[in-house]
Order: sequence, then C-alpha cells, then structure tokens
Amino acid sequence: MTQPEWPQWPQLPQMPVPAPTAAETALCPNCGQPVSASAAFCEACGATLVPTEPAVSEPPAPTEGSAQTRRLGVRQSQVTTCSSCGGTIDADGYCQVCGAKAPSARDHYSETPADWVGGVCDRGVQHSRNEDAMALWAAGDRAVLVVCDGVSTSVDSDAASTAAAQAIRDVLVERLAQLSDPGQAATELAAAFVDAAAAANAAVIAVTSPNSTNAASATLAAAVVLGAEVHFANLGDSRVYFLSAADPVLLSLDDSMAQAFIARGMDRAEAEALPRAHAITKWLGRDATDIVPRTGVHTAAEPGWVVVCSDGLWNYASAPAELAAQLAAAGSESDDPVAVAAKLVEWANAQGGRDNITVALARCPAPAMPTNLESATPWVPEVEEQVENG
Amino acid sequence: MAEFSSAVYQNEFLPDGGTDVNAIVTVRCSDAGAAGRTGSGDAGEIIVVDTSGSMGTVNMEAAKRAAMIALDNILDGTYFAVVAGNHKAYLPYPPVQSGPGMVKMNYATRAEAKRAISYFRAEGGTAMGTWLNLCKALFDSIGNLANRHVIMLTDGENHNETAQQLDLALANCVGHFQVDARGVGVDWKVAEIRKIAQAMLGTVDIIGDPARLSAVFAELMRNSMARGVANAELRVWIPQGAQVLFIRQVSPTVEDLTHRGTPVNQLTMSYPTGSWADEERDYHVAIRLAAKSVGQEQLAARVQLAVGAELLTQGLVKAKWSADTNLTAQINPEVAHYTGQAELAQVIQDGLAAKDAGDLATATTKLGRAVQLATETGNAEATSKLRKVVDIADARTGTVRLKQAVDKADEMALDTASTKTTRIRG
Repeated sequence: MTQPEWPQWPQLPQMPVPAPTAAETALCPNCGQPVSASAAFCEACGATLVPTEPAVSEPPAPTEGSAQTRRLGVRQSQVTTCSSCGGTIDADGYCQVCGAKAPSARDHYSETPADWVGGVCDRGVQHSRNEDAMALWAAGDRAVLVVCDGVSTSVDSDAASTAAAQAIRDVLVERLAQLSDPGQAATELAAAFVDAAAAANAAVIAVTSPNSTNAASATLAAAVVLGAEVHFANLGDSRVYFLSAADPVLLSLDDSMAQAFIARGMDRAEAEALPRAHAITKWLGRDATDIVPRTGVHTAAEPGWVVVCSDGLWNYASAPAELAAQLAAAGSESDDPVAVAAKLVEWANAQGGRDNITVALARCPAPAMPTNLESATPWVPEVEEQVENG
Repeated sequence: MAEFSSAVYQNEFLPDGGTDVNAIVTVRCSDAGAAGRTGSGDAGEIIVVDTSGSMGTVNMEAAKRAAMIALDNILDGTYFAVVAGNHKAYLPYPPVQSGPGMVKMNYATRAEAKRAISYFRAEGGTAMGTWLNLCKALFDSIGNLANRHVIMLTDGENHNETAQQLDLALANCVGHFQVDARGVGVDWKVAEIRKIAQAMLGTVDIIGDPARLSAVFAELMRNSMARGVANAELRVWIPQGAQVLFIRQVSPTVEDLTHRGTPVNQLTMSYPTGSWADEERDYHVAIRLAAKSVGQEQLAARVQLAVGAELLTQGLVKAKWSADTNLTAQINPEVAHYTGQAELAQVIQDGLAAKDAGDLATATTKLGRAVQLATETGNAEATSKLRKVVDIADARTGTVRLKQAVDKADEMALDTASTKTTRIRG
C-alpha cells in the first residue's frame, strides 16, 4: 500500500495528490475492512456504505424480544402477521411492508362467557375507531348481555362506552344473585336496569374530562336471560330482539328521531331513511337529562335467540324478520354464538360497515339445563337433524 | 451516551381519495458529548485557508489570526492538519512528506502549527476542488476517525478549475467529511460556496469585515467540537408502492435531502445528517400513498435516526382517511410554516439570481413574495436582510421596489442566510 506524498508548502509539491483508486474488492472506505457488496454499513466501524448490489433479504423482522423493539417502545399490537399483505407487523403496530395498521384489541373483540352466549364488537369499515362496547356474563341458565354505543361526535366515547357496558353488567349480575322469589323477577330486574343505568351514567361522567366541551355519551341496550324469560332495557338506539322461527320480534323501542316519526304514523322504512333518523333523544353522559331506561319482559314461547346489537348491525336489517333471515344465514355453518355473531359482523361490514358493529347473542331458554333439555333445543333453521338418538 | 427523541407534527386525516401526506418530524439530541471523546472514534479537524493572491495583506493577516484562534479551540487529542490553498493545495502542517498526514493536538503541535501559519503569504489562483481532495486524502491517512470536519475560508471565485472539476472533487468527498465554508469580502460566489457547503453537510456565510474572522472561526470550531455524535443518518421507511415526494431538512436551515438517499433495503432510504451536538432539527417529509377507503388507517412513513446499525429514535407518520371535512381540511401549522419557509429560501435565491442576470421584473416579483413570506412566517432576520436590498411599500401584499444602490455584502448576506429558518414553536 502506497502512502500519499503530501504536497509540501511553501515549496511546490513534488507530486500531485493521488486520486483515490477504486477498490477492486469491496473495502470499507472508512476503516478498510472487507465489506459485503450489498452492505449499507460497515460491520467493523459502522460507516455508511453505498451498496453496489441490492440486498436480497427482506428487512429484518424484529421479534418481540429484540433490542430494537425494546428500544423503540412496547409492542402496540399482539397481531404479528398483516391481514392485508401477509407482511410482519412491527412493534409499532403497523405492517413492515404495506404500512397497514394492525387491529388493536379495542377495534375488534369477542366474548364467550358460556357455549350458549357470545358476542363480537367491531370497528366496522368507515369509522377510525371502535366506540361500541359490549359486556357479557353467563352462569347456569342465566345470562346478561349489554351493548353500549359511544356517540361518535363526542370526545372519549370509546372509553365511555366501555365503562358504561361494564358498569351495567356488574350491577345486573349482582342483582341477579340477590333474586329470591322468581315471581318478583320482573319487578326486581326492572329496578335493577334503572340502577344499572344510573351506575353507567356515573361511569361515563367519571371518564369524561371535566373541561371537555363535547362530553362523552353512550346508548345502552341490555338483556337478562332468566330461563325462558328475556328481561330487557334500552336508552338510545341500540336494540334488543328476540328471534324465533315463528315469531321474531323487536323488544326495545328506540329513543330516536326516526322512532318519533314512526310514533306519529310514518312508515318504519321511510322514517329510518330520514337524514336525522339516527339522532338519538336519550343517552348516558354528563349532558344527559333523562337516564331512566325503558324496560320490559318477554317470555319465549319457543326456543330462539336474544340479539342485543348496535345500529351498525340493524342499519342493514331493521325489521325483525329481516334480521332473523340474516341470523339464519349466519348460523348455517356453525351454531356457536361467537361464530354466528362474527358472521353477522362480517355481513354488516360487507354491506359497507358505515358504523361500529356489535352483536351479542344468547339462546333462550339456555340449552344446558337438564330439566328442560327438549324445549331448550336451539332454533337453528337450516340444521334440524339433531337429537336423533336420545 | 447521547439520547435522541422525536416528535411528529401532522394532520393525519386525508379526504376520500387523498394521497399526499405531509409531516414535520422533529429530532432532538441531548447529551451528545464532545467530538472524539465518546468512544466511537477520534475526531479530525482540518483548517483550510485560501492563500490566493486576491487575499491581499489585510485579509491574509486576518485569516492567519483566525486560523490560529481556531487551533486554540481544537481539543487536545484531536487529529488536525492545516491546508493552504490557491490554484493548488499544500500541507503546511504537519510537516510530513508521507505517512499519516494529521497529528494529534497538544501544546507542542499547536505552537508548531501556528508557526507554520505565520509564514502564509497571498499568491496564486484558486482551485477549491484540489483543496477538498487533499482534505479527503489527509483524513483517509488516519484510520478510525469518527468526526471529520473542515473549516474552509475563501475570498474569491474558483478561477483555476472548471465547474466539472469541482463537481468531481465533491463527488469524491461527499459523505467522507463535513465542510463549514466562509467567504470573506464580496468577490466570491455565494452559489458556488453554498454548493460545496450543502454537499458537504455544512454551513455557508459571509464575513464582510475581516476583523470578525477570528470570532467566527473560534465559534465554528467550538461548535464542531461539541458534536459528539458522528455520522448520524435519517432513515425513512415508506410502504410498498408509496413514493417519496420530498424529504427536506427545514430547521435550522432548509436543505433538500430528497436525492441524497442511499437504500438500506427495498423500503427504507438513508439520508446523511452528519454529526450532532445537543440540538434539534426538523424534517419535512412528504409521501404519496395509494388512497384507501374512508375509515382506513395506515402508516405513511417511519422516520428514524440511526448511528451505525443502531436506531435511536423513531417517529410515525400516519394516514387516516375520513369523510369528515372538518378533520381533513385542516393544514397542520408546522407543515404550513415550514412550507412557507422553504418557499422563502427559494424566492430569495431566485430573486437575487434574476437581479444578477439583469431581469429586474422577475427580481422584484420574487423578492416581493419573499418579503410577504418572511412577514407571514415571522422570519425577522430575513425581513431585516431583505430591507437592505428592497424598499418595502406593503409587506402584507409583497409590494416592493428594488433599491437603487445596494451594498454587495448586504445582498450576499441575504443570499447566504436565505436557508435559515425560524421555528414555529418556542
């Protein structure tokens, strides 16, 4: 290796400054160590290199424990494979290839408290976050289904709806345990719904920033399955249906502009198509004036499904018969409640997914009770070859 | 160990069918330490003094004093050399004929270097490319230099080289060291020296009064010695199928990085940022994506700062498509501010170039727009420098008249400062 002859001063230089010669083999221009032709950095000294060949390997996929992911923050999503392109989800919660956002736990979740009770809560397509919430419970032949829809024009309504749904469920579960006389169930549960709404209202206010100019608010729809009885309550436009083969019915009554027009004699389809049809007239939250829910009880004459849902679902099938048809289609492959709810969510997303979608399902009466096994056979219209060898 | 952090300022919301995402990413460095003292490698400093005949006695003596004061500000233990340049490049110090062309600073070498500088006299022409090539060879003669920095002083045009020769020298040197260039007097070309400084990740400024040379050199050297983080890179990842519209440093100065990237992998480009002291720099990133449906969210860019293979901070630029025009119509204030500042730099340079070429109509329009932008974005320094070149009738509408008699130094000061930006935040 020849060393440069440095041009002396003040004498004229003996030699011109040599131009750097192109390295025959790739060497790091900084430290002289051999480097790969595709390397962007020298492994010896870390200097930047201009690769002369493209790197063939994919970008390294940082796994959960790598130094890089620890340095750059905690993992944002448990999902590791991108649903859009199959790429790897980075610790930052986005795909390393296409940049798609990995769904967060809040965007899509399901609950299965018993094999006859389940639900799915989903962001839908067009909204950027999931402001619906769901809280379920089941034990024995009893189940509690709660759906709250955060009002999308308000701040923190996703946190508000979660707090509300959980508060309602907790109150109802507690009061169910205190039920003594089955004959008083209707009265006691009606009071429980009113107390649950008050607890939910307090929970919503608790998560609302005191200086929020647009206070968080949420609807409520709740059902308690007690043997063959469906006790229900609602505030706002989330709904409770009881869908059986012979008699699918809408149990709840919306607190909405559309319902107000229907009450004055307008056709349901026409009223629900009005521009402000979805404006609700009652809600939970700091600026709510009336938080007493409408309650009722329905006794199942034949086995069926209790459906508690947000308008993200019923927008696409409002009439009980229409929703029953979609439920039947959704249950054609599997009668597992979560699978059926997931199918309904998928169908609503396929219709456009304009809003968050929540579907909570329970069979009524519960199928597991030995004393009324025969009558508890679920209504599954297209799967009727059951209970053959009993 | 230096700490880096980042923050992203953007409006994430895009309208239905929207494709272009703009964001300002601020990168902050703290605890940078001192050059050559952080364990990542030694620091190397070269002082290049123009000794062409045009320097004359006054400038030459001022330059000699300034070079000596720069030596005083080089930390002991730092490798250094002194280069004298006219139509050729010479190595007055260290007095070696071969082998390593730089020595470590200590009491003795500092005194010897000062004595060598004292013999400088002004004669000959100017060929800056040869000066830069000699600097590269000197740095290369020392292994494992992390920081490589040059202070270059000149007073004239690059007469003894073609533009192509200078370009070749720059291509040879880019990425190997940084150059802060200063012009003394008014006989040098701002565009020529700015080209060197921009390519070499340094700064350019005019020193109108030779008496200020010493103070400027002392400050430049102190600043360089405070850059404990060497060879940091901005890395920008974009999604498959996306396109970088531009990547631009927007603070403290406007520097277009778009075409300076080298690929790290198929989706990530690396842009050199040189060495860092405790400081903040802002980058404007503009990315074009394929539009997604309303309600979808995706990442538009990961903007990272890396030293070697280590990622030190990451900012996420996002895109969320929304049907809510209240969200999508808003322009982020930081993006708007720096878009204006980048345009300000451009119209000042365009306006002065037009004036130089005798196109007074264009010069008036461009400098008028500059006055308007400087006023709107609160760039008081640019406004005061513009005032020395134009008479302002109405700053709000950008109505100006070119001054009849302009001090050439004021015009050059406006030009060299054109890329300096103000920040929108405190």
